[in-house]
Amino acid sequence: MAVPWKPDFEQLVDEHQAMVFSLALRMTGDRGLAEEIAQDVFLELDRNLRKIESEQHAVNWLRRVAMSRSADALRRRRVQGVHLWVELDEGAGARSEKSGSPLGARLERLLATLPEAQRAALVLRYQEELTPEEIAETLNAPLATVKSHLQRGLKLLRAKAESLREFVRGD
Amino acid sequence: MDEFEGELSEAMTLRPAPPSLKNKIMQRRWRERAERQRRRVAWWRRIAAAIVLAGAVGGGFAWRYRQQQRKGEEARQQVLTALRITNHALNVMNAQLQQNNQQEQ
Repeated sequence: MAVPWKPDFEQLVDEHQAMVFSLALRMTGDRGLAEEIAQDVFLELDRNLRKIESEQHAVNWLRRVAMSRSADALRRRRVQGVHLWVELDEGAGARSEKSGSPLGARLERLLATLPEAQRAALVLRYQEELTPEEIAETLNAPLATVKSHLQRGLKLLRAKAESLREFVRGD
Repeated sequence: MDEFEGELSEAMTLRPAPPSLKNKIMQRRWRERAERQRRRVAWWRRIAAAIVLAGAVGGGFAWRYRQQQRKGEEARQQVLTALRITNHALNVMNAQLQQNNQQEQ
């Protein structure tokens, strides 16, 4: 008989805080808000810890709740008329440039300009390396819709990156 | 995965969480747990108070019902006693009347 998984909340926070924070940050573009979302997500995990059956279940759960909380936060901000995507620009650029990828430095910035659904699909695809099926499950969306968001998002991002390259060359 | 997607994957590496994040989570968790515990205790107190109150009210009604029953029983006994006395008096009168009638005849 398999030994039942005993979750250690502190260890889960240690291991997955970067993932939850990165998802929220890439979805909202606001470090403060992302931190708040990450806190809420982990507290919700604590309240639901009894229902979590394995480490993988915990990771999937965290991804799903982080994405849904980020979407809620974006919706609330839209209602309040607040514009996000301020802090990520400078922060992302500086850090990515240090890591040595010239285009990568601006890709995150361009990602921020994509529609929310496409951004969500791309973040899960390229940050979390999920398959379209897994993304559909995480976002609770039909597979065809997710595939379409991935395709369109990537196309749009590619076009934006291309025009940015041309702009830099022309400069 | 083409070159562009490779660059995108590279750009999407995990961002380190703020150093204070874990502490904030643990503190909020502790506060939430304390608050939950406090609420649980308050609920149990309310339930206990409700049980005591229901017991007192129920006991009061039961006591009142018994009192009424006892008073009713007393009144019944009094009526029966009065009827017995009346019956006895009437019997005595009847006997006397019969005696008088016999003497007159």
